Amino acid sequence: MASAPFEYLAPSTFAEAIEALGEYGDAAVILAGGQSLVPMLNLRLVQPGIVIDINGVPNDGPVANGGWLTLPALTRHAEILSDPLVAVAAPMLVDAVHHVGNVRVRNRGTVGGSLAHADPTSEIGAAALCLGGEVVLTAASGSRTVPVDDLFVSYLTTSIAPGELLTELRLPALNGRSGVSFVEMVRRTSDFAIVAVAALVELEADASTVKRASVALSGVSDRPRLADSSLTDELIGQELPYARLRSLGAEIAARFEPPDDVHASASYRLRLIEVLTARALQQAMDRARS
Amino acid sequence: MSTFEVDLHVNGSRRQLDVKAEETLLDVLHDRMGMSDVRYGCGEGVCGTCTVLIDGDPVSACLLLAVQAAGREITTLRGLEGSAPDGLHPLQRTMLQLGGSQCGFCTPGVILTAVSLGRRNPTATRDEIRHELVGNLCRCTGYTKIIDAIETYLGELGTGTIDAH
Amino acid sequence: MLTDAVVRTSTGRVVGQRHAHHDFIDKVKGTMLYAADHQPPGMLHGRVIRSTVPSARIVSIDLGAARDLPGVAAILVADDVPHNSLIVRASGGLGELAIEMPILASDRVRYTGEPIALVAAETQQIADHAAELVVITYDELTGVFDPLGAMEAESPLVHDEGNVLVNWHIARGDAQLGFARADVVVEGEYVTQLVEHAYLEPETGVAWIEDDVVTIRASTQVIEHAVEIARILGLPSNKVRVVAAYMGGGFGGKEDMTVEPFLALLAWSTRRPVRMIWDRQESLAASTKRHPMVMRYKTGATSDGRLTAQQVEIIGDAGAYPYLSARIVFAAAVVACGPYQIADVDVRSLAVFTNNVPTSAFRGFGAMQVTFAYESQMDRLAEALHLDPAELRRRNFLSKGDVIPTGETLQTVVAVGETLDRALARLGELPVPSAPHKVVGRGFACNMQPYGRTIWFRDQASAWLTLQADGSLLIRSGVTDLGAGQAASLCQIASEVLGVPLAMVSVYIGDTALTPPAGGTFATRQLYMSGNATLAAATDLRGRLDPVAAQLLGCAATDLDYVDGRVLAIGGGSLGPELGLSLAELVSECARRGVDTSILTVWHADVGTFDPVLGQGDTFPDYTYGTHATDVEVDTDTGEVKVLRYIAVHDVGRAINPMRVEGQIQGGAMQGIGYALTEEIVLDQGVNNSTLFTNYLIPNASDYPDIEAEVVESGEGRGPFGARGIGEPPIGPSAPALANAITNAIGARPTRLPMTPERVLGLIDTTRGKSWNHK
Repeated sequence: MASAPFEYLAPSTFAEAIEALGEYGDAAVILAGGQSLVPMLNLRLVQPGIVIDINGVPNDGPVANGGWLTLPALTRHAEILSDPLVAVAAPMLVDAVHHVGNVRVRNRGTVGGSLAHADPTSEIGAAALCLGGEVVLTAASGSRTVPVDDLFVSYLTTSIAPGELLTELRLPALNGRSGVSFVEMVRRTSDFAIVAVAALVELEADASTVKRASVALSGVSDRPRLADSSLTDELIGQELPYARLRSLGAEIAARFEPPDDVHASASYRLRLIEVLTARALQQAMDRARS
Repeated sequence: MSTFEVDLHVNGSRRQLDVKAEETLLDVLHDRMGMSDVRYGCGEGVCGTCTVLIDGDPVSACLLLAVQAAGREITTLRGLEGSAPDGLHPLQRTMLQLGGSQCGFCTPGVILTAVSLGRRNPTATRDEIRHELVGNLCRCTGYTKIIDAIETYLGELGTGTIDAH
Repeated sequence: MLTDAVVRTSTGRVVGQRHAHHDFIDKVKGTMLYAADHQPPGMLHGRVIRSTVPSARIVSIDLGAARDLPGVAAILVADDVPHNSLIVRASGGLGELAIEMPILASDRVRYTGEPIALVAAETQQIADHAAELVVITYDELTGVFDPLGAMEAESPLVHDEGNVLVNWHIARGDAQLGFARADVVVEGEYVTQLVEHAYLEPETGVAWIEDDVVTIRASTQVIEHAVEIARILGLPSNKVRVVAAYMGGGFGGKEDMTVEPFLALLAWSTRRPVRMIWDRQESLAASTKRHPMVMRYKTGATSDGRLTAQQVEIIGDAGAYPYLSARIVFAAAVVACGPYQIADVDVRSLAVFTNNVPTSAFRGFGAMQVTFAYESQMDRLAEALHLDPAELRRRNFLSKGDVIPTGETLQTVVAVGETLDRALARLGELPVPSAPHKVVGRGFACNMQPYGRTIWFRDQASAWLTLQADGSLLIRSGVTDLGAGQAASLCQIASEVLGVPLAMVSVYIGDTALTPPAGGTFATRQLYMSGNATLAAATDLRGRLDPVAAQLLGCAATDLDYVDGRVLAIGGGSLGPELGLSLAELVSECARRGVDTSILTVWHADVGTFDPVLGQGDTFPDYTYGTHATDVEVDTDTGEVKVLRYIAVHDVGRAINPMRVEGQIQGGAMQGIGYALTEEIVLDQGVNNSTLFTNYLIPNASDYPDIEAEVVESGEGRGPFGARGIGEPPIGPSAPALANAITNAIGARPTRLPMTPERVLGLIDTTRGKSWNHK
């Protein structure tokens, strides 16, 4: 099948891209890595009036500054896997990206495109949520910073306003006594997650007591979701055995109504949430303490 | 309908042509430039039969607009340099000798992906080879002989018998 | 085991060698030209417009907007098809209903994806746009989507003639008496799913008009469809030519016509070249699939582990049209008892229409599904008898000379025991689980798969060999090549006999105009048929060359040796030079003497008849046997199955090219693993929910271990040099081997495919006394 015709613009700055978004409005789509958009174009599921290709915008790569790791929107998955800065500042993101697509997807796919696409099974979405990341949305009038939790609205839908462009992902640096884990279940390696769980555990100065814990999940809802903090807060100051992590996982699962699709039923996903959450928390805690 | 005049650098030669915005690199390479080693298999970026190297990295030609490839170095299987008298790239030779090809439809994508791996990680283990190939589906071989051929090729790279060109 | 094996040839300079020649070279270079790669000047692009509903009357088809679109060259509907009907009698009229299938639906659609209209346009983009502009209005009818439901009296009819296409009965002895003799009886119901061939090259072809002949170059297993295409076009058969490109995989999915009649209609109507490539999504949605089957088994045995009786009921979902269903459920019936000697057998096998996508040929051809059932039954029986499952099988394996349920006597050695022993020996110790929440298990399964066509079709194949002036050889054969080396093996066979080096052998295949008929590549028949034809032709040619050579060299014809492009007198001739003659010199001498070095030979398979009323008679020429064995590890918290080791062993009689044989075994086993664990086309009320390649999960490189293939050469098979066919057999044992291993690991038996993590977890729950409403 061949895509329907469209106009094409390749701005060389985000400002030009944003100007074009203002000009073309609903008729425009942003082309970043293209690994989700172009299949939809090929299958004629999306027939935009104009494609605004932002790949010509210079990309200076990830920067660590003031307790934050800043990833420009056009940071490609392959770059996340190879960048030593990201390896140190956001190892969970590296773990998550290992699960994303195949080598070709990782060579083209971008962190900004992935977040803006808002696939409910997004690994990068779960990692960014779990780490307490925020995105910078830039419009002609200026920029605003939005927590990733507020970015995702529903299935393939974000709070990016008309005329806005997602230009950066910012992730807070972790303290030295933290451990992360990213686990997922797929039917076939590199495909969409059935359930993915990102877990973060930060310890107190005693390097033993849990100070903060966070869990985010993909494949469990119409968008990547944070586990209810009132549940993950139960870990704070506690020494929980694996069996207790399982029951915590079950409590977290009970807060979701996961989708039912050709790969798995909702009830199977609930089982996975319980198991994978416990495994991720256990691994994050073990890593924090080691 | 937008049309763009682009310079495509394919396998070391340059060609200028007009492309429509929505034409994928696959459309242009296969249908307009006669690169029959770049093949349609799914249009979703899943199967890997349209794999090409862009500036050395594997990319799905079905998911890249031709306009986006302008000025980049595009390598298809036929662009791999063969140093031996038989004109085969060393990985082509191990694929041939070890039976890594059956119907052959996936073969160009498999070879390009593996050659790129060899350049980045010439000491890749058998498991790393397997993981690198997840996006190059093969329905005929069961993969065993493909992995054998790539492992043998990487082994030759490691002993310095051949270069990772 | 192999005491009565016979090795029919002691040579093997070429046959039996791991040659990487011919098509392999083009494939690794990327220079092989597939069906989509020929683009004649002025080529149009075709598209099929398909039904979006499973069962309906077509109220109207509005082509107006599509016809007005600039760049549209033709839009065709049912009225534009000269002869809009195809009746497939897959069993040769032995009992199935005669059902008409339209090429394009006119008033009624019976499945989602049924072709309704065709468009050809200057670009693919315009053709796709035109397809969107065609407005079809339906009056939807109640459909039936389950073959069991379709057999009920009140079910909607898919065809007025009835919903049961065919109902085979094969019986031998008296099953009830057999059960009476049994000490133990086990019963099981097994359910298999709809799956897709998923060759990497979708259905593709190009057609053009040349000398007023419609010429179609397509990715097809069967060029002989030219006759049907001519009938559809209302033309005499000489006006249609089909050329088979080397295929990017076939697996049975290109055995029925795919793009060919549509291309022919569009090219004939526009008088321009037309290319049609089915999108991957279209191929997943609308191409033929493998039959889902419900199989009910009842098996009896004595306490010492001798099988006494088996009763089998097989219900296959044919989908909306017959295609090859009648023959597929027949094959399922013939081998429903597997490679075991059972005196009292009663097998019933039905193909039933539904409003699902049609099912037809797919590697394994009905013999695959039943393997899942009979090998699960054997393990169940072993458990009930407290016998080692391998020992139970060994006590019941068929042997040469045994009579199978159709009443036929097995004519070649049955080396299935050898394959079992080798597979188990190779596995060694069962590994220990890698984590506390994991368990490991071992399973294996044996199978028998026919090779060659059902023999009441009076099968034949021909080969045309020409030894040229320079000593090079041309082989012409109507064979089509799916990628398994069908053409290359003919080169090795001819080279073995005639001594022409492989580099000087060329093979031209798959052209109804220029190559002699070989009868299509399916049913694992081409090595058997065209291999024997080529061997016969080469032998016939030797019969002409030998007297000339013997005279020139001064030796007996029986002392001639043809090797490396030369003819030698073994032990030295009285006249000829020490180094013998070159083949070029021999051809030159033949020409001088008026001896023709070009020969066309037709090879005939055995013929026989089958009585559908008695359920007895002649069925298949022979069978290939094998065993797969595997170790798995199961995550008891998620139900995930990790395959740790996988061994596949088959007796191929004689490996013409061991490398290609191993490749067939490895690839077949892996397809079988996908069938066992991940693959399923999910239909919801006839609507396909698995039309994306990202959702149809064929195995990738990373998720499974190496397939450790082992080749047994009993020396006895009915192909050339004692070879047996190996195209289909390796796909059969995977599912039951894995089911038996999972059962061994978790203590509960999967009876439904695919064995998804979710289903496995549900089974684990049952062992823990839990029940859970899983899929």
